Amino acid sequence: MSGLAGPGRGPDGGSSPVLPADAVRVGSRFSFRTRLTFGLVAAAVLPVAAFGIALAATEVAGGGLGDNVVRLLLFAITVAAMLGVILAYLLTADLLQPLRALARAVRRVAAGDLSARLDVVGEDELASLAESHNRLASDLQRRNAELGRILVAIGEASPRDGVARLVTKAAADAKAAFEMIDARVHLGDPADVPIEDDVPGDPRPVRAILALPDERLGVLVGHLPATRTWERADNDLLELYASEIAVAVRNAQLFEQVEAQTARLLELDAAKDDFLRGVSHNLQTPLTSIRAYADQLAADRPDRRLAIIGEQTERLSRLVRQLLAVSRIESGALRPRAEVLALATHVRRAWEALGADETAFELTDRAERWLAVADPDQLDQVLWALLDNAVRHGGGARVSVTIERAPREQVRVRIADDGPGVVDVDRVRLFERYARGTSGSGSGAASGQGGTGLGLYVSRELCRAMRGELVLEPSVSGAGATFSVLLPGEPPEDA
Amino acid sequence: MIGRPAGAPGGAPRILIVDDDPNLLVLLAEQLRADGFEIQTARDGEEALRRLSRGWPDLLVVDMMMARMDGLTLAREIKAKADLPIIVLTAVDAADSKADLLDEVAEDYVTKPYHYPELRARINRVLRRLGDRVPRQGLVLGPDLTLELHRRAAVVRGSEVKLTPTESRLLYALAANLGQTVTTESLLARGWAETEDADPSYVWVTMRRLRQKLESDPSRPVHLQTVRGIGYRLLASP
Repeated sequence: MSGLAGPGRGPDGGSSPVLPADAVRVGSRFSFRTRLTFGLVAAAVLPVAAFGIALAATEVAGGGLGDNVVRLLLFAITVAAMLGVILAYLLTADLLQPLRALARAVRRVAAGDLSARLDVVGEDELASLAESHNRLASDLQRRNAELGRILVAIGEASPRDGVARLVTKAAADAKAAFEMIDARVHLGDPADVPIEDDVPGDPRPVRAILALPDERLGVLVGHLPATRTWERADNDLLELYASEIAVAVRNAQLFEQVEAQTARLLELDAAKDDFLRGVSHNLQTPLTSIRAYADQLAADRPDRRLAIIGEQTERLSRLVRQLLAVSRIESGALRPRAEVLALATHVRRAWEALGADETAFELTDRAERWLAVADPDQLDQVLWALLDNAVRHGGGARVSVTIERAPREQVRVRIADDGPGVVDVDRVRLFERYARGTSGSGSGAASGQGGTGLGLYVSRELCRAMRGELVLEPSVSGAGATFSVLLPGEPPEDA
Repeated sequence: MIGRPAGAPGGAPRILIVDDDPNLLVLLAEQLRADGFEIQTARDGEEALRRLSRGWPDLLVVDMMMARMDGLTLAREIKAKADLPIIVLTAVDAADSKADLLDEVAEDYVTKPYHYPELRARINRVLRRLGDRVPRQGLVLGPDLTLELHRRAAVVRGSEVKLTPTESRLLYALAANLGQTVTTESLLARGWAETEDADPSYVWVTMRRLRQKLESDPSRPVHLQTVRGIGYRLLASP
């Protein structure tokens, strides 16, 4: 509190100990009224007195009112009037000087210099006016400091702190800002905290409601030292602070709600993940057995029927994986690994897994030994889905795949069929979830009968997750559909 | 390389298979026995732990999802006792959020439905890797590079860099022969055991990508050096 004038300092006739150097002394031993009366009386009485003196002198000089006498009389009156005016002027100056000093000090305070104080001498009316000014200035200065501390406290309040911490901090900040003995914030109905009586001499209780436009969140209560002045403006400031706390508390409550909801959503997401993992496991385990036994039987005694069992289990298990992939895409949980691989090998393996022996297959590798960077599992899913698509919608005649370099250090796999191609209506919707061709047969390359309608959607998302892309090439009349998988590429040179 | 796994002097490698699906358990045991492994089976985690208390196999194949004790828990309990290599059978793939957990407890994992030849290739590779003796704690190669291969990561200049399974396999092989040259062929065999027609360019490109991940100046490598015409070596910084 050093550097600030104490509030309400009494008229002690001396100067304030921390008076600024340019302070002006205001007040006098004689009261303002005495001096004013004296001046007015002097100005009024002097000419009359002069007239009397002149008249008396004429009497002494010898009878009659001659011309000379009249002239002398006029002269005396003139001189006396002038003396009166001068005297009045001097007295006015004496009266105005402290008023001017006051005006200057008020102007400085108005301009924001709250340190402007007046040196009070004596106990006259001007002294008490100066005193009032000083008190006003120091009150303003104190409230300014309080406001500053409040603003800092408000600025520090973050909804992340949580309601409990915010409330504790708000009470501590209020205590410091208003120099209270104690302060606490009660959340809930303000009526729960009884209003204390203000007993003179005891610490003064203060109270401000944590009010929002639509709700009262609680109340801030505390005690001030008994000697502390507490004006309406101070109370307004406290109420302002309380309403700011209310806003901060409301924000923190909303934030906690959002946090809780987010946590709940994450929990649900994890639960869904667990569920899907379980479903996937429970579906894949029997499929593994079926597949393994079919393979074992086929190894002993080759049979086309066993091969079909093998292929169909493969298809089934891939559809299960597609469904799992959709859930991961939706929750943004695709985290592909960036392994280096040769595309031709993977294309060939995906084709073999498809088991479409009736369809002719052509693989042209023009990648100049460039390698792709991709997640082998995900790439396998993409290639299988696209090849499966090409077989089922391409009329079954021929599927040709070309691997080649593409601009911007990419490699491309073009998968083309000899089918009817994709009609324009379908081109737009093709990569949407659950998209299918517009008509049952020959209409497009979207996963139709036997598919989930997810193949292209999942494939495109998987490609994008691997920092690549899946596009449907512009159609050429008479030619089938051509899909291109683009993936980041790496030149094969010895490093 | 079928049925000729290394790492078990004086006898066939012993494998303990833990799976709660009896069909799969019987079939897999049959297939692996036919390939010359010595097989024990357990229907759940507790049975597996009981069997382990009577003697350690060379490798465990553990189903991830089992009713009584799931594969991850079992793998953790086993790893707490002994550093036995574990292959996890799972419906989870690399994209799953559980994949990182798998990386930490298992040497490798095979996604269901698996093909037997692939599983066998992985078993063989994991058994061969036993000879590497790579510690399961971090390997400090200098002030700005620490390899933490057991969790497929490296700490480069204070920040964590994830490694792919292949990258960490190559680094395993190089770290086991720290300072010595490892041939491109053996790196290829180590990193791409299950890949047909794998090509030395796989090694070259992967090493180039590793340098970009690990070296401060990939064009002037300090740790991952090329030995022209022969292979690569891993060096601690001087």
